[in-house]
Amino acid sequence: MRNSQPMPHYIKRYTWRVLIFMTAYMVILIGGKGYTHSADPSQLVRIALAIITALPICGVFWAIFQMLIEVDDEYQRLLFAKQILLGTAWALAIVTVWEFLAVYDVLASGPQWTGVIWFITFGMAGGYVRLRA
Amino acid sequence: MKNRLKILRAERDWNQQDLANALGVSRQSVNAIETGKYDPSLPLAFRIADVFALSIEAIFLRDDR
Repeated sequence: MRNSQPMPHYIKRYTWRVLIFMTAYMVILIGGKGYTHSADPSQLVRIALAIITALPICGVFWAIFQMLIEVDDEYQRLLFAKQILLGTAWALAIVTVWEFLAVYDVLASGPQWTGVIWFITFGMAGGYVRLRA
Repeated sequence: MKNRLKILRAERDWNQQDLANALGVSRQSVNAIETGKYDPSLPLAFRIADVFALSIEAIFLRDDR
């Protein structure tokens, strides 16, 4: 029997999708920041830029959940589901504590960059779940 | 749930990757099933039974037996 196993199709698709979305995010963010510094656009344009910049990040969220649908290995699907739930729980715990630190005036502002926090906890949860698998 | 996957593999001189390739799953999945960390779904149990040309009951055993 053959001894090696090629990269699963769902991982290939996920990797390509994330690469495309992150490239788009960097191009839009750099372009958008450069434009706002040089042109001083109206509030409406700034809102539009904010939404356009956020869309590729939402695309990465979509790519993660799409992978969960496309994975055809039931045990790997279980591990991905555990990773998403654990990563979400950790992210929610962090922003909840952060929020109350702001409520009690320990910090000047409440949770920011929640998406980035979620990506970090999602990655950490992946390592944790697979270490225990 | 107990199973005889390791014995059946050894009888055929297959490693976990060989069985994973035959089933179309990852090696980690085979390892998780073999070590009892994960009980496969009925469709996957039937696929395993087909690969070994045995009945499901000849591969998977109830914990109380």
